[in-house]
Amino acid sequence: MDYLIKLNKKLLSYYLIVVFFILWQVGPSLGWVDSQFIPSLSQVLDAAWTSIQKGELLIGICISLQRTFIGFVLAIIIGVPLGFILGGWLPRVSKFLSPLFSGLSQINALTLFPIFLVLFGIGEGVKVSIIFWAAFWPLMFTTISGIQQMDSLLIKAARSMNADGVTIFFKVILPGVSRSIFTGIKTGATMAFMMLIGAEVMGADSGLGWIVHNSQVNNTIPRLYSALITIAILGLLINYFIEWLERNIITWKEEVPE
Amino acid sequence: MKILFKYLRAKVIYNMKELFIKTYSRLKKIAYGSLSIILFFLLWEVASDIGLANPVLVSKPTSIFAAIFKLIQSGELFIHLSITLKRASVGFFIAILIAIPAGFIIGGFFKGLEPILAPMLRLLEKINPFALFPLFIFIFGIGEVSKVVLIFWVAQWPILFNTIAGLRDIDPLLIKSARSMGASKTFVFFKVIVPSAIPNIFTGIKVGAQIACFMVISAEMLGASKGLGWLTVTAQANYQIPLLFAASLCIAVLGVAINELFAWLEALVSFGRQTTFENIKN
Repeated sequence: MDYLIKLNKKLLSYYLIVVFFILWQVGPSLGWVDSQFIPSLSQVLDAAWTSIQKGELLIGICISLQRTFIGFVLAIIIGVPLGFILGGWLPRVSKFLSPLFSGLSQINALTLFPIFLVLFGIGEGVKVSIIFWAAFWPLMFTTISGIQQMDSLLIKAARSMNADGVTIFFKVILPGVSRSIFTGIKTGATMAFMMLIGAEVMGADSGLGWIVHNSQVNNTIPRLYSALITIAILGLLINYFIEWLERNIITWKEEVPE
Repeated sequence: MKILFKYLRAKVIYNMKELFIKTYSRLKKIAYGSLSIILFFLLWEVASDIGLANPVLVSKPTSIFAAIFKLIQSGELFIHLSITLKRASVGFFIAILIAIPAGFIIGGFFKGLEPILAPMLRLLEKINPFALFPLFIFIFGIGEVSKVVLIFWVAQWPILFNTIAGLRDIDPLLIKSARSMGASKTFVFFKVIVPSAIPNIFTGIKVGAQIACFMVISAEMLGASKGLGWLTVTAQANYQIPLLFAASLCIAVLGVAINELFAWLEALVSFGRQTTFENIKN
């Protein structure tokens, strides 16, 4: 009996989701909602399965993920070192540039889509640059703030034990900043993926966003929903993946009891 | 009597000096802050002249500002700006009207519902709005309604979740001490609960406004016939590059202006609290 109560408590959060899916299946089938606008769950899953069989959905997933990955890795390669340089070595430069950065970072990536289109022509460059822009700013800002918030006592302690620069960097600074960097990675990845779908809806000929756009144009609505669900699931998976990475890389963080 | 006059005069002079110093230092701060932006534009202009940046692809700042001036003159800027603002405001205000009461209901009156509703709502929040927009276009047709619904959808989540969080974080001691002094339930609600929750609610409103501004531009880019976002896409399609940069610059300035507006409003609302210091945004 006790076990059942505990189980019930744990599953409580998920009840509504299950109810939601049941309603989704039952509602359109019974005609509560116009099934043209909201097809039932079985229709959506059917369309998804057809999509997978044609290979369209899987190719779309791969293409979208590939673009996200390239842009994101670029953002890490440029953003994190730049954040280290600006936050650690040149703090006054970073303070001087901060109005400019603040202004530029508030321009969302999709606003720059037409500009990037003009600069890079139609192709992968546009989408990768949008993802780069979307992920770069959170990464750089969190790196800078991570460095600035570092406890200088730790660095002084290491120095007082005659540690040289390289050791200090890899064994003191890097672990201290990694928590902020991972926050930046999480934000950056979420923004990057969201922007990517936006970019694909706007002007692409492949990828998950294009599937959504194409479905709307061709009125194949179950296919639209299947792409929608895929995007949502993919977003969740990316988030879980990064959290898993964080748990396995930052093994020294003490959990603050809530 | 004379002493009174002397005192008043000294006070007035002191206040004016203080005001002058404050304005001067604020102007200095603004000037120093804009220095980097001005430098950026100067370097851009020089790069175009040297040949580092192709002036056809990347317009010179002078031609960008000329294009902006032309837009202002012809009145087009005002038209597009007001349409964009109108869409954003309508969606945003509907979001406030619905999300804050909903937040109070979920977070306050039916607190037990929260663990059931919250995961579902968080799931809904994570659905990509760009993918939802074609769906809304399909359901509501190409027109104002789909965009306003999209902005409403996107803006309500931060407001809703922040309201719930604000209600959850109220110090129960405050409520208990008010009750112990015989306060009625209405009094407790309006004078204890609401003021305690307002900072969080306002954070939600601020984030919601930013997201609404961002989403309205994106929605206009995807499917609209007027507005700043549409202007940007049309300029790109017609290869009017200075106009493209001009519109993008206007959008950027609009975004910054909205952020500053809400930061100022937030400072007004939370005059008694200690706000966390954000030296670099985000």
